[in-house]
Amino acid sequence: MKNIKIAITALVTLFLFQSCSEDKMDEINKNVNNPTDMASRLIITDVMVNSAFTVTGSDASFYAGIYSELNAGNHNQMYNAQVRRAEPQLSSTYNNGWNNSYEQIKTLRIIIDKCTVGEEKGNYQTLGIAQILLAYNLAVLTDLYGDVPYEEAGKSGIIFQPKVDKQEAIYQDIFAKLNEGIANLKKATTYSSLGNQDLIYSGNSAKWIKAANGLLARYTMRLSLRKADYQGVINYVNASFTNADDELKFINANVPNPYARFQLDRGAICVSKSFYSTMIANGPADVRTNTFFTKIGGVVVPFDNSKEDLEGQGIYSISALMSEKNPIYLLSYHELLFLKAEAEARLGLPQAQTTMNAAIKASYTKKQVITFTAIQADSYIASIGTLTGDELLKKIMLEKHISFYENEGIECYNDIRRLQAMGNGNFIPMVNAQPELFPLRFAYGQSDVASNSYIKDLYGDGSYVYKENVWWAGGTR
Amino acid sequence: MKKKIKGFAILVFLFTVQIFFAQEKTISGIVSDGSGPIPGANVVVKGTSNGVQTDFDGKYKIKAKTGDVLIISYVGMKDQPITVGNASTVNVKMQEAGEELKEVVVVTALGVKKSARAIGYATQEVKAADITRGNNNSLSGALQGKLAGVQITPSSGAPGASSQIVIRGARSFTGNNSPLYVIDGMPVASQPDFSTGNGVTGSDIANRAVDIDPNEIESINVLKGQAASALYGLRASNGVIVITTKSGKNSGQNGKPIITFNTSTSFETISKKPSTQNEYAQGSNGKFNPNASTNWGPKISELPNDPTYGGNVANVLNGGVLKPGKYYVPQRVKAGLDPWVTPRAYNNINDFFNTGITINNSLNISQSTEKTNYSFGIGTSKQDGIIPETGMNRYTAKAVVDTKLNNEWKTGFSFNYIQTKINKSTSANDGAIVGVFAAPRSYDLKGIGYANPANPYDQIYYRPSVFNNPYWAANNNEFSEKTNRAFGNTYIQYSPIISSDGNQKLTVKYQVGVDSWTTNYRNIFEFGNKLDLSGQSSSANLFGTTNDVINSLFTLNYNLNITKDINLNVLVGNEYNHQNTKEYDEVGTAFNFGGWPTIANARTITAEEYRRQIRTVGFFSNIELSFKNMLFLSGTIRKDIASNMPRGNRDFIYPSASLGFVVTELEGLKENSFLSYAKLRGSIAQVGQAGNYIGNYYTTPSYGGGFWSGQPIQYPLGGISSYISNNVQYDPNLKPQNTKSYEVGADLKFFNNRVGIEYTFSKQNSTDQIFSVPLAGSTGASSLVTNGGKMRNDVHELTLMLNPVRTKDFNWILNANFSKIDSYVEALANGVDNIFLGGFVTPQLRASVGDRFPVIYGTGYARDAQNNIIVDAQGLPIADGELKVLGEVAPKFTLGGSTQFAYKRISLGAVVDWKNGGKIYSGSNNLMSYYGVDARTADRTSEFVFPGVKEDGAPNDIVRGGASDPNAQQQLQAALNGIAESAVFDASFVKLREVTLGYQFPKLLNNSVDLRTSVFARNILLWSKMPNLDPEATQGNNNFSGGFEQWSMPQTKSIGFGMNFTF
Repeated sequence: MKNIKIAITALVTLFLFQSCSEDKMDEINKNVNNPTDMASRLIITDVMVNSAFTVTGSDASFYAGIYSELNAGNHNQMYNAQVRRAEPQLSSTYNNGWNNSYEQIKTLRIIIDKCTVGEEKGNYQTLGIAQILLAYNLAVLTDLYGDVPYEEAGKSGIIFQPKVDKQEAIYQDIFAKLNEGIANLKKATTYSSLGNQDLIYSGNSAKWIKAANGLLARYTMRLSLRKADYQGVINYVNASFTNADDELKFINANVPNPYARFQLDRGAICVSKSFYSTMIANGPADVRTNTFFTKIGGVVVPFDNSKEDLEGQGIYSISALMSEKNPIYLLSYHELLFLKAEAEARLGLPQAQTTMNAAIKASYTKKQVITFTAIQADSYIASIGTLTGDELLKKIMLEKHISFYENEGIECYNDIRRLQAMGNGNFIPMVNAQPELFPLRFAYGQSDVASNSYIKDLYGDGSYVYKENVWWAGGTR
Repeated sequence: MKKKIKGFAILVFLFTVQIFFAQEKTISGIVSDGSGPIPGANVVVKGTSNGVQTDFDGKYKIKAKTGDVLIISYVGMKDQPITVGNASTVNVKMQEAGEELKEVVVVTALGVKKSARAIGYATQEVKAADITRGNNNSLSGALQGKLAGVQITPSSGAPGASSQIVIRGARSFTGNNSPLYVIDGMPVASQPDFSTGNGVTGSDIANRAVDIDPNEIESINVLKGQAASALYGLRASNGVIVITTKSGKNSGQNGKPIITFNTSTSFETISKKPSTQNEYAQGSNGKFNPNASTNWGPKISELPNDPTYGGNVANVLNGGVLKPGKYYVPQRVKAGLDPWVTPRAYNNINDFFNTGITINNSLNISQSTEKTNYSFGIGTSKQDGIIPETGMNRYTAKAVVDTKLNNEWKTGFSFNYIQTKINKSTSANDGAIVGVFAAPRSYDLKGIGYANPANPYDQIYYRPSVFNNPYWAANNNEFSEKTNRAFGNTYIQYSPIISSDGNQKLTVKYQVGVDSWTTNYRNIFEFGNKLDLSGQSSSANLFGTTNDVINSLFTLNYNLNITKDINLNVLVGNEYNHQNTKEYDEVGTAFNFGGWPTIANARTITAEEYRRQIRTVGFFSNIELSFKNMLFLSGTIRKDIASNMPRGNRDFIYPSASLGFVVTELEGLKENSFLSYAKLRGSIAQVGQAGNYIGNYYTTPSYGGGFWSGQPIQYPLGGISSYISNNVQYDPNLKPQNTKSYEVGADLKFFNNRVGIEYTFSKQNSTDQIFSVPLAGSTGASSLVTNGGKMRNDVHELTLMLNPVRTKDFNWILNANFSKIDSYVEALANGVDNIFLGGFVTPQLRASVGDRFPVIYGTGYARDAQNNIIVDAQGLPIADGELKVLGEVAPKFTLGGSTQFAYKRISLGAVVDWKNGGKIYSGSNNLMSYYGVDARTADRTSEFVFPGVKEDGAPNDIVRGGASDPNAQQQLQAALNGIAESAVFDASFVKLREVTLGYQFPKLLNNSVDLRTSVFARNILLWSKMPNLDPEATQGNNNFSGGFEQWSMPQTKSIGFGMNFTF
């Protein structure tokens, strides 16, 4: 009896000590649900989806579209932004977009690291695309927020309060990354093409190179106030897309166009009266005016954005172009042609209006669910007549503004701020009753205002968004 | 079958044998106490069912034979055994049971029973009668107002609603603050398997304490302090709720089986109903709009004059044929009704809510024989909620058996099976009742109907998009959970006789148990959700979890009387706990068509699984020394090794010590009638809490949240997958968080135990909290799971027991429980001032440095240096640019009071709960005002000046409102809607928690049946500072609960009756 007891006790003790050794505990605590490392080709795919859906097409575009009067906000946060009720200066307003942009930067840094010094050294295609996407994401970020953390950003676990970099320096890196990207995409690599993991160009490096040149054109134009290089813009455009098939856009059966999804989920954006008036001013020859907007009781009912019109859902006309199947434009062919037209016009080159006409045609015929024909475009173009000087420049910018309808809000907002800075603020009619509350920039994200003292100091009470231009628009930050 | 017959025969035999061989004579006498004869005292022949009660003069007559033992018993008196001799007259003088209180036995950690006087820390016991008196089928609800130092936060009155029990304040910011539940010696799960997260979408998720049927509980002991619970180690930092279920031990001292049947039925209604304005119609700026969410239209009486919709004027809708006194409601056309109606205000709130019904039944049979005692019970609880299609069904079955094998060996088991099914409704962003509370006063929500007669998925509603008609949502969307659970344990105990003089005792016990449960959840947004007939807004989310927890416990207890006065007790043991979890999560979005709300009807389907194991192995010891029943010194130590921490940081040691000193044992203080009993106690302890370390990983990107309902993008995208680095990162040097606690207290009893006071002060310092430290977004990650922060809890607990009247007919008891719990956040991680617990971007709940935990945080009024509210050029308040702390959620103090009157056979009891202070954010109140429904918006014609200062600092003198400014009130409410501070209310309340009136019938059916009937009411009186809503209805099943409300499920009040039969 006693022996049995001792034996049992010994066995139990043995079992217990084996059951809690470090190795055994490691085995128990192993993460069986998630991988701890990943190949870059499986990472970069989401950078593209995210760059399109979230960075380009969602919150930032909605707010920017309202500020630039491309749209009006009729409900809740969008209404508050519309009537300038605190929203534009609150750090909470843009927090989601802010955080998302930095997750993008962090992810891209992981890919670039893997493909330069890491285990995928020499994977030049993925590297080049990652560099172009980094430049793109970074430009959206600094265009909206001005001076932002960059060099020290995206290093979670190492740097907890990243320092802020100047926009001028960030722009230098944007150009550098685009040029490095182009160079890397031209290199031979033993790694296979991204293929289907590249949801934009299916691993076609030549198209990425064109896209990078197009972005170089856009960002060169952006810095016109600081350092005009219109010939450079034209050169870059010439190295970029030759038709709408090449353009940098995202279209995927499983990714809804965010503008359409926003209408479904929130119903908070509608037609602004000033944009509708701009369209009407084009005269009956512009058939877009009659098709762009939904009608209520047979007429277009825009939100009167020259005042605090009523808040409400379903009471105003909305975009009739809207479809979840529409592409998300990161850099459209029509935008590219308008960039060239503007550069030519600013240089006084005679072909400027021809280029503008081509841009208008590209805008008419952009490949959306609801589109227009080249013939319709031609008849509208014929109605414009010959323009010169500022008249032409103004028409180019106004047509570019229209071409951004319905949701190329970020570029629309960037253009308006650039034009204001360049003394062309009258080109695009703006009617908001409180011009002193036109947001010159987005407010920093709440997470940094709360947890990064560098940003906290810069944010203050948030009223800087109404007072301080970003660097490329003549400001200091 | 044969066995069944045999069992039945034995039962019949047992009933009959007891009245068989009686050779009786009649004994008579008078039962009295110091103040005279006692009517209604029980006189029973021991071991039989033969019993009588004394009459009004205390006289009794009973048949018994020589050698029988009569047991005379009466409430508040000691049972008196009298052996029948030759005398046929036996007068009995009874003594008050007060002296016995000294010998109260409490169940302490690991189920060790100790004399109450021997412990050096505070525990509090709640007896079965106090739990079940109000017939509440929720344990946490039944405990409200009855414990000191314990905060009970129900989420709502919905069936199966989650609730939080927190003992002596929070120690963790975002982690677990709820106590460990131990049922019959076995730790069991009590927490929710899934958190409600930010608490602003979907439905509540029940916590597993919902599986406990209060009717099966014999007693609850709350081990409040860390010293009390230190033996449980890692899991004990939040205190322990030790539940002992009904067993055969205490029942049937006569040896016969006792059958009890309890039944109760109650009726629930909404505890507080919003009050509305009744004069103004749907619309905005004084203009009627049949699709507006707002209620700022013209007067309802003016609707027939509306140029577009009125019947008094010629317009397109009436084609020039006037409909005098009527107006046109377009929704009625869709419903196939005459669109022209006479306008009036509708009682949409009364129309919507049902009277809830709860029916609880429980049947228990128990018996104690010489060697074996058992208890078998089954119970059902069926509840229909006040919101249509909500409810709970719970079935429980249990068995407890203990048996002595011989003088040394003992064994037994306890087994429980539970099935719980809950149907819920949704709140906050998915709120169902928004359309009830905020329905325009002119809109006939019930009368018009909720769906197109030709297409049940085509909703009819006053809002044209995005929001559901509440009737449609109730009838088509589904939020349900169903749990099957079994838990139980078995033990074997060996107590050899190791000394002939009894000076040494040894007990070795091994117990092994399992807690296993599976819960499946269905969250269905049916086709047509949010009025979207494309199907995009519909979805099926099927998820669930399967868990098994094995707990093995080995203890060895050695007791030695060193001298006559000094006793030593040593306990050593080992505990092994291993949990296996498997979860699944299937999401299907966009149904093809309505009426088949299952995942197979979805156009996009994704699925995920999650598996996890957690093992904790602990070694512990407890050494106690006592001197003369007067001084008690105890020390514990426990080492835990936890798998869910990083390598090298897995094992930790926690000590505790306590001292109890019974002052009244001192010579000179003994037998003092003023001070009957006095004990001073103090303890010190340290315990920790492990994190849940898993390390960094890659994960499938998610696109939910923000402006999106559901998931706009779900990987894989047409066969293409992608993975990104998870935005929550883990600190590889994670260590356990630590709580050091100190506790001092005194237990005093006066006037022969007629007055009792217990007071405890405790202080806890918690350091190295484990939480997801929010990172600046620019780091590229959202948070880092690491150690950081300090918290301090200062807790005062006072319980008072009064027995002002105790006569033979009348007994009156008063109890009060006072708690003042202050949990201060002293520090968070470096550079972090506050962390998010739940809510919207603004407002939300946070833990904020320097403030009590938690705080409401969000947009405040813009104020000047003197704290005056700044108004803009329109004379309306404006929002401050920075988010800030808007108020503390925790109350200043809580006071629970209960009283019991017993007069002869009638008893009357009441429990009152007072929560003083604390703030709540009420999104419903905010929106009811913003929409112009709230009674507070009834006055739209008076002039007003918003109190504050203008931007130049001068007092505001801008007059708004009046005839020339008819929309001022709407503009004011719109401005306030953007300022969360305007909807932060004082959450103080006083509630009449329970009132019960019971009547104990004289023995029925030939003395074989006891029947007690009662009528009861719960939450019937409510006084609260917050308008329109009961402050005890909030969002969240986690640390977020209690301070944030947005279209939360309402609280309820109940009235019912119950019957308890004992055979």
